[in-house]
Amino acid sequence: MVKVFEILEHTADIGFRAWGDAPAELFANAALALQSIAVEATVVNERFIYPIAAAGGDYETLLVNWLNELLYYLDGERVVMSRFQIDQISPERVSGKGWGEQRDPARHAPKLVVKGVTYHQLAIKEEEGRWSAQVFLDV
Amino acid sequence: MVELETNDGLRHRIPRQRVPGMRADVVVYATEALLGQIRKDLSLQQAMNVAALPGIVGPSLAMPDIHQGYGFPIGGVAATDWEEGVVSPGGVGFDINCGVKFVSSNLHSDEVRPRLRELVNQVFRDVPCGAGGQGRLELSDRELREVLAKGARWVVEQGYGDERDYECAEEGGRLEDADPDQVSSRAKERGRPQLGTLGSGNHFLEIQVVEQIHHPEAARAMNIQTGQVVVLLHCGSRGLGHQVCTDFLAEMGAAMKRYDISIPDRQLACVPIQSPEGQAYLAAMRAAANFAWANRQAILHFLRDSFRRVFGAQTRLTTIYDVCHNIAKKERHEVEGRKRDVLVHRKGATRAFPPGHREVPAIYRHVGQPVLIPGSMGTASWILVGSDGAMQETFGSVCHGAGRLLSRTAARKGRNAKQVEAALEAQGIIVRSETRDGILEEIPEAYKDVDEVIEVVHRAGLARKVARLRPMGVIKG
Repeated sequence: MVKVFEILEHTADIGFRAWGDAPAELFANAALALQSIAVEATVVNERFIYPIAAAGGDYETLLVNWLNELLYYLDGERVVMSRFQIDQISPERVSGKGWGEQRDPARHAPKLVVKGVTYHQLAIKEEEGRWSAQVFLDV
Repeated sequence: MVELETNDGLRHRIPRQRVPGMRADVVVYATEALLGQIRKDLSLQQAMNVAALPGIVGPSLAMPDIHQGYGFPIGGVAATDWEEGVVSPGGVGFDINCGVKFVSSNLHSDEVRPRLRELVNQVFRDVPCGAGGQGRLELSDRELREVLAKGARWVVEQGYGDERDYECAEEGGRLEDADPDQVSSRAKERGRPQLGTLGSGNHFLEIQVVEQIHHPEAARAMNIQTGQVVVLLHCGSRGLGHQVCTDFLAEMGAAMKRYDISIPDRQLACVPIQSPEGQAYLAAMRAAANFAWANRQAILHFLRDSFRRVFGAQTRLTTIYDVCHNIAKKERHEVEGRKRDVLVHRKGATRAFPPGHREVPAIYRHVGQPVLIPGSMGTASWILVGSDGAMQETFGSVCHGAGRLLSRTAARKGRNAKQVEAALEAQGIIVRSETRDGILEEIPEAYKDVDEVIEVVHRAGLARKVARLRPMGVIKG
């Protein structure tokens, strides 16, 4: 299987690098990466569809805001999701959805409390049609 | 490599002239050995970025436990002019009013040692912790607003504690001018189920024994002596504070353009203190700080239950003090011979007011404000008191902990949790954690030597050693 994200190192904290063939795929994979750090999500029933949307002025800001929306679902609404789909994306706005269910402590063991998504060394690049994003999280 | 001017082996300076954009010098407190570790990450660069904040007053300060953070280094202190300066949520961090509560027991380690495992297990049952930790307190909207306005006092008013619990706390366990309306509904929802929970990461609750007394007069004021069992509790404002930081980082990122502020790192987003956004952030931050004090108070209540269950109804836990080490506060300091109102950002730094300061509770005023420095899991922690040097040099601030050295993955590498637990038990330390990774990631080797960090602030005259504490039981978030 093609790797869609990897976890990165930082003395006190943790981050990830995600890839995609287009911004839409990149944002979906970044969401998977964030969730994999926060919670065990190998068994998720797709019981509900959760809409996720964010705004920003550029792709970096948009990604931070998008991930913060997901973080609120994870930590505020206690939801876990198995996959994500982006319906519309521009540097100003992203809208999409995730399939998942309410977190069940027995199946979705918590991993790390992600306090927030940071701008620290945040970078989104496109090279030969391949998009990548580097994001660090405060945990 | 960043060049530092060193005069006494403890204070190292990067002059503002060195780099365009720096409005202030950087001063680092460290030994050469600690400096070697500090140079390995971006913390000095981050301290230099902080020196570029508009309206910074005095130097950008780096404590000996400094390590790379987000925007601000962790272990960083910066004061900005109250009228002309900026406020930066990055100078407080996501965990608003992460702090430490220190309580003494009326038990000797000889009584506790034979029943230590039972006590640790009881505390582990009674204090919700870990990433999934949900609280035992259900708060209505009205109650949550009261928590945000009143802090630890609200918890005590419900019958969970006594007046001393908040009187012996920085700011009396409550910041004035907190505005619950500035806290978003998301922040409230994220925090609502989490009052009275420890959280995860480096948050912990440690049952300790007083090992050495270095300042008998201050120890007498705190009523602690060698052999006595004490508890150090380290946690913050949970999801509520995290969301407040997230909300305002987004808002300030957009607002900065309006105020024509440019900064070297977006995580340092800031706005004028006197702007509507600046005032709104401070009002929300204070409310989140109050939530953190209420959180530590609620945990203390559970802890008292645990101790009584194991050692009987006559067991007492008495609050010695409670400090915050992620906060921004308006304070009056003398700068270049003139008293000025400044906003002191302490990001991973502890207030350390000296003897005689009116903010220090009367029972400690002759010795100085208690300063509580947790070490890493399984190593020593320290109690200090603030000194005059801190008022003269660091806006009344010192370090906050040992400071991380290894990443989480590096800490896990080549170790397993059973071996780590066994090695700690061989030293008489019992550890309970929600996850095995939690134990591995917080191993003592992942942190700097806390004794050396303390030696720096003691020798530099910022704070004075009072007592060294040794862990007995650890509950890891």
